[in-house]
Amino acid sequence: MSASKLLLFAIVSAGSAVAADQAMLERGQKEEARSCVPCHSLRLIHSQRLSKAGWNKELDKMAGWGSKVTDRDALLEYLVATFGDDKPLPAPDTSANGTKK
Amino acid sequence: MKLNRREIFAGLIAAAAAPRGRAADDSVVIPGKRPMILHNDRPEDLETPLRYFDSFLTPVDAFFVRQHLPRPSAIDAGAYRLTVNGMASKPLQLSLADLQKLPQHTIPATIECTGNGRGFYTPKVPGIQWGRGAIGNAEWSGPRISDILKMAGASESAGFLETDGADTGVAATPDFIRSLPMKKALDASTLLALKMNGQPLPDIHGFPARLIVPGWDGTSSVKWVVRLTVAAESNKGFFMNPGYRFPKYNLPPGSPPKPAELEVIEGMPVKSSIVAPEDQAKLTMGSITIRGFAWAGEEAIERVEVSADGGSRWHDAELSSPKLHFAWRLWHWDWKPSDPGYYTILSRATDSAGRVQPIVAAWNPSGYLWNAIDRVGVTVEKA
Repeated sequence: MSASKLLLFAIVSAGSAVAADQAMLERGQKEEARSCVPCHSLRLIHSQRLSKAGWNKELDKMAGWGSKVTDRDALLEYLVATFGDDKPLPAPDTSANGTKK
Repeated sequence: MKLNRREIFAGLIAAAAAPRGRAADDSVVIPGKRPMILHNDRPEDLETPLRYFDSFLTPVDAFFVRQHLPRPSAIDAGAYRLTVNGMASKPLQLSLADLQKLPQHTIPATIECTGNGRGFYTPKVPGIQWGRGAIGNAEWSGPRISDILKMAGASESAGFLETDGADTGVAATPDFIRSLPMKKALDASTLLALKMNGQPLPDIHGFPARLIVPGWDGTSSVKWVVRLTVAAESNKGFFMNPGYRFPKYNLPPGSPPKPAELEVIEGMPVKSSIVAPEDQAKLTMGSITIRGFAWAGEEAIERVEVSADGGSRWHDAELSSPKLHFAWRLWHWDWKPSDPGYYTILSRATDSAGRVQPIVAAWNPSGYLWNAIDRVGVTVEKA
């Protein structure tokens, strides 16, 4: 393989790898919206930072509590990539004033 | 820092998932509550911002909320019935009016979420990442559990009182049921509270009746109580085991739990928290009041010391009266820094049993009972 062909191959395969990653993460996010939201809001997830083992354990726990996850691999990938324990904690959200003025 | 493509994309997704993210989120209003730190809105998990901790009684509209399950639909006061059954010679169905006719008792008591401070543990553990504010102090009023159990003819050989609220789990989520050793249930301070700070309990805090178990973790104080069962043994559901258990022997941080060596949490440790100034505050030279609260579960607060130099020298803080078991004491210390610069401020409490707040809290797999010496950093600038 010539140098230019090698470079082209590298670019194409990197591109398809990214596409695969993106597709998986998007699938994971859709799975989250489908299977987690029936029981609780997503803040409960998005405010946490866990390792892959930690998220995997949470998915086990939620499966036991009745969640119907069909695309578990994608959901786990998405959780780890987005809310992994190497990611900084988000600044806390605040609710708006609910008292009568 | 070098990012790979996956990380870059994950960052984009995270940004899309939390478009409002960092500022006040106007889309979530919790009726009856001031702006609260929003860990979860369905069900409600709300933390009290430190700026509201300026009084002995925490106002109801600023009191923290921890729901395990979705709140039950509003309970009709007229239709409400409390079932008292199990090892009881006279099982009962009590209306709210029946409960109101029993002798009423009032007790000031601090309630703290078992996981308050979980966010400070390293390594991180799953669960709501509470800071300092999953705690509050209120005056609770209602009949004694012991009076209700006496009326029902509860067996003296019973070991536990099982309490169930009207809330139920979604899908296969286990019901929130808690058991209390009968000795604690029969204690004169243990109430079925109908009022909070003199007002009927709001829905979000358990209307019309909630257990109040002074000195124990908030988890014991079941809301929307509809059933009290006198039992020989403790309930075996998730929220008694493995939920809300603490390792009998401390574990190396990050290690998995040993299920056979987990014990039910009874009582709470000694703890002080710094309310002001807040961490990383910028202050001006002059007199600076450092203040906070301290409580010790079933014990009373004896002493709070403050250091403004990272723990070299400690100073006794002024403590508020009264000194009570079960309720916190507010404290303050007036500090006059002699130079500008960065300071590490610490607070340390001692209780009536001689327990002293530790430098390091015992890491545990569920992140319960955080009580390390509190610590904030501040920058003092020239006036």
